[in-house]
This record gives sequence, C-alpha cells and structure tokens, in this order.
Amino acid sequence: MPALKKCFHIKGRDFNHAGQASITVQNLLKKLNFAPAMIRRVSICGYEGEMNVVMHGGDGLFCAEIDTDRITVEISDDGPGIEDIARAMEKGFSTATDEYREMGFGAGMGLSNMEKNSDQMDIESTPGKGTIVRMLFQTAETDSSQGA
Amino acid sequence: MMKPRAYVNFDESFCTGCTKCVRACPTKAIRIRSGRAAIFEQLCIGCGECIRVCPEGAVTSTISYQSFEKSGRVSVAIVSPILYAQFPGVMPCDVLTGLNRIGFDHAIDLSYYLEMYQFAAEEFIARNREHCETPWPLISPICPVISRLIALKYPNLLAHILPLKPPVGMVGPEVRRQISQKYGVAESDIVLYHLTPCPSKLVPLEGDALAELPNVDLALGINDIYPKLLEAVESIKDRDLSLYPFQQLCFVPNARGPMWGMSGGEIAGMNVDRVLAVSGLQETIGYIEKIEMGLFRDMEYIEFRACSEGCLGGPLTAVDKYVARSTVQKLIKMFGMGRRIQRSKLRRLYDKGSFFPRTRPAEKRQKFAGSDPALSIEEMQRIEQILSQTPGNDCGVCGAPDCRTFAEDVARGHADLNDCYRFMLDKYTR
Repeated sequence: MPALKKCFHIKGRDFNHAGQASITVQNLLKKLNFAPAMIRRVSICGYEGEMNVVMHGGDGLFCAEIDTDRITVEISDDGPGIEDIARAMEKGFSTATDEYREMGFGAGMGLSNMEKNSDQMDIESTPGKGTIVRMLFQTAETDSSQGA
Repeated sequence: MMKPRAYVNFDESFCTGCTKCVRACPTKAIRIRSGRAAIFEQLCIGCGECIRVCPEGAVTSTISYQSFEKSGRVSVAIVSPILYAQFPGVMPCDVLTGLNRIGFDHAIDLSYYLEMYQFAAEEFIARNREHCETPWPLISPICPVISRLIALKYPNLLAHILPLKPPVGMVGPEVRRQISQKYGVAESDIVLYHLTPCPSKLVPLEGDALAELPNVDLALGINDIYPKLLEAVESIKDRDLSLYPFQQLCFVPNARGPMWGMSGGEIAGMNVDRVLAVSGLQETIGYIEKIEMGLFRDMEYIEFRACSEGCLGGPLTAVDKYVARSTVQKLIKMFGMGRRIQRSKLRRLYDKGSFFPRTRPAEKRQKFAGSDPALSIEEMQRIEQILSQTPGNDCGVCGAPDCRTFAEDVARGHADLNDCYRFMLDKYTR
C-alpha cells in the first residue's frame, strides 16, 4: 500500500489562509489516530514552514506523505532562497521585516524549532530560485516525544 | 457506558430536509436521511447552531418546553444575569420580582458566584504563572460547548481547560440547606431551576462526566419563561420592595453579572493581563486549531464563547443580542463593576479547595472516546479516491454537509455510494 499523499498550494502573503495546509494535515492525522505528540510535532513544523513561505517565499507547495510509521513533509517555494543556511538555522537569526515582527512573527525561531521537532530535516536552497525544506517524522521513537 | 443523548430534538413533522442544520453543525453530526434530519447523537456538543438556523422551527433544545409550573415544592430560580439583559429599561430587582410573581418562591442571582469564579481564576493563574508545566494558554471552562468541542475534537488540549468549577457548579449543597431552613421544608421539597440562555447547560444524561451541576434539578430556557415573565414585569408599577421576600437577594446591584453575558465580560472582571476573548464557533475553532499548533503560548487565559457576542447571543435568549448588549452597557454605566466579596474570604475558600471540581477536565474525554473511530491509511485512501469522484461542490444532495464527510460516511459504512448523484448518474449512463 503506497503512502497517502496530500499536497496544498501556499499563497504568498495571504495571511488570511496561512496555516490551512498544516491544519488540514493535522485534522487528517487525528482521524488516522496518530499519537498526539507526533501530531503536535508535525503541526508545529508544518505551520512554521508554511508561514516561512507565506512571509518570504512567495508561492509554494506543501506536500505531506503519510504512512503508518512515518510522515514526510516537503515544503517548496520559488522565492528568494536562503543565502546562508547554517546562519538561518541559528536561534534568533531573522530576515523578517518590521511589518512581520509587528504581526508577531520573525523571532528567528522558525527553522531551529522545525529542526528540533522533526526527526530529520534537510534544506535545499538556491538564492534567487527557491527553497525546499524536507522533514521526516517517525512514529516509533516519537510516542513519548518532547513536543514543542 | 450509557448511550449519550443529543442536546437537541428534531421534529420530523416540521423538518423539510433543507440541509441548513447539516451545514451549520460544527461537529458534522447531522445528515439528511429519507428527507429528514438525523443526528449522530454521540457527536452533539449542544451548541444549538441547528436551532438557530432551522427555518421551520423543527429543532428544539431538549430542555425546551419544560414549562415552569408552581407545584407544592419550593421552587428556586437560579438566575443567570443574562436574564436582566432581556428587559431593556427594567431594573434587575424588578426582574426578580417578576419571577416571584410568576410563581418562584426564591431567586438566587448568579452574579455572586460569577465573582467568586473570577477570583478563583485570577488566583489560579497568579499561583501557577511561574510553573512551566502549566499548559499556557489556559482556556476558560465556562462555555460548556467549548469544553465538549475540545473533548471531542481536540482532546490534546483538555489539559488547557482551567480546572475550576463553573459558577453554577458552585451553587452548593449549603444553598439547599439554607433554603430548607428559611422555608421550613425538607431538602427534597426544593426544586432548583437554572434559568439559562444555553441549550447545553443541563446535561440530558445522568452521570455525565461533563455535568458539574449536581445541585441543580432542572434547566429552563430563558425564552420559555420570557412571555409570562414579561407580563409580570410589566405589571410592576408601584415598586414596594418590602412586599417581596427575596428583595434581600438583590444585594448591591452591580454590572459584573450582566457584563458576564457579553463576549469579553468574563475577563473584563479579572485582573489578568494577557487575555483574549473570542466568540462565535467558527472563530473559536480557528483559535483552537492554532493553539493546538503551539501558538498563543504567550497568552495566559482565553475566554471562548460558542455563541457570537457571548451568552447574550445564546440560542435560548428572548431578545436580540445587540439589544441585550445595549441594555447591559446601560447597567454598567449605572452600577459600575466594583467587587463585592471579600478577598480574604475567597482566599480561604480557595485554599480549602472549594473551587475545584471533582471531575478533572482530562476525564471529560471518556464520554466522547470512541465516538469518532480512527481510520486506517487504507480507508483514508479510499476516502480520497471517493472524494475525487464526487462533484466536489458540497451540494448536499446526499444528505452530508460536504463531499469529504460523505466519502468518510461511505468508508465508515454510514452511507451508500449511490447517495451521491454523481455515482448514481454514472451507474445509469455507463
């Protein structure tokens, strides 16, 4: 049985619908009876990733592949890309504008939070072309997960 | 386990099968079957949206039409202050007098308990502020619909519900004792009626883990007593308070009670800084989903109300919520929002544990456990596959609120593929 794959378009700067992909996936995982901690990790990472695209990446695609023991989330966009990935991963590093900070985003915790809450995370980015973030979540070890 | 009952009744003779309630239901508990509304009772959280949207008046609260009649027993009205807001230009005391005229022997104004609750909530937040294990934000336990929604759909968040008794739950056995002394009757000869704007205040199932009102006997919808009460209130011309035995209960008038009915009214009376008030089911669900994703952790307390504009917008109110709100605003101007209960007394009660319910919120899940069985990935794939063949425009012809729910119903064996006109067409045109 192949894994269940769901993809959603993310529209850049559309804050009214931002988060919809993560919420839909979250509801799906609940119906599939995944462990609460697992759902929480996927939701937190999905949401952070989705918001990154909404704020920086322009339009993008959010794909979740769900299997009984593992979930992968791939978030890709055709935005400006990340110049220095290592730097972007640092806690507190942020390129968010003042406007976004006023909205409560841009604390520079997004990527590090995603790394902390996923079991594996890869970022592929070409400046000027776009970014792909892949995250893997595994059921077995995560039932008593650390959460957020 | 006892079978849960829905909080609403559908009258088949009025139902036209129009699907308005099907679409309005936040837990997708209603379907049209053979042209009439049918409900998955275990999914009903008592929000009353179906009562509101039904154009035929076919949906009623299970507590409706329990008309109040004077009996040989001492009848006591436990008055939600939302009742005052139903009578523009009338003083709260006169509303209570009106209750006396329509046959209640005694009235207990809940404002007192609301203030106790507000204190207890403040105290809980202040004492737990520094504990990192407290699941911020805390969620107000006041709206029973929200608590049930969380128990049913977001059980991970049950720990966020502030573990305090709601005000009506504080109407303790001592009240019954006092009344029995005052009227010289046995406690069994007293009936406590909760007058409420909410279809879900009294749980229709005995032994319900959600029931925190062990000392209340019956709930009456405000709209059910309104016509009689209006007549009585209008007849009060000469206000001779000495005539009425329960004038003492109209203790210092204060707008805290009526204010409570407005969205934001609960937190307005509390000394907590990082608070939010959200009303309306759609908005509430949006917030709850975000809390589940780890947002709003910088908030301490969120007041959710299923009804838009708060309890003044309850399905069992008599007057329009905006008119009611204007009445409350006048009462605030007149009476202010001062505190009436001594802090030291409340602190003693708090330390004694008087504000804490026996049922911890986490136990609420039990009632709803298994009501929405989990699906396997194979079933979910079948759902996606069915969904891709449906028209996808949520037309409602099949009797489900949307195509996805229809597909789920088929996978769960609650519906037949041919209930969808698209599958039906394919069958005959192939």
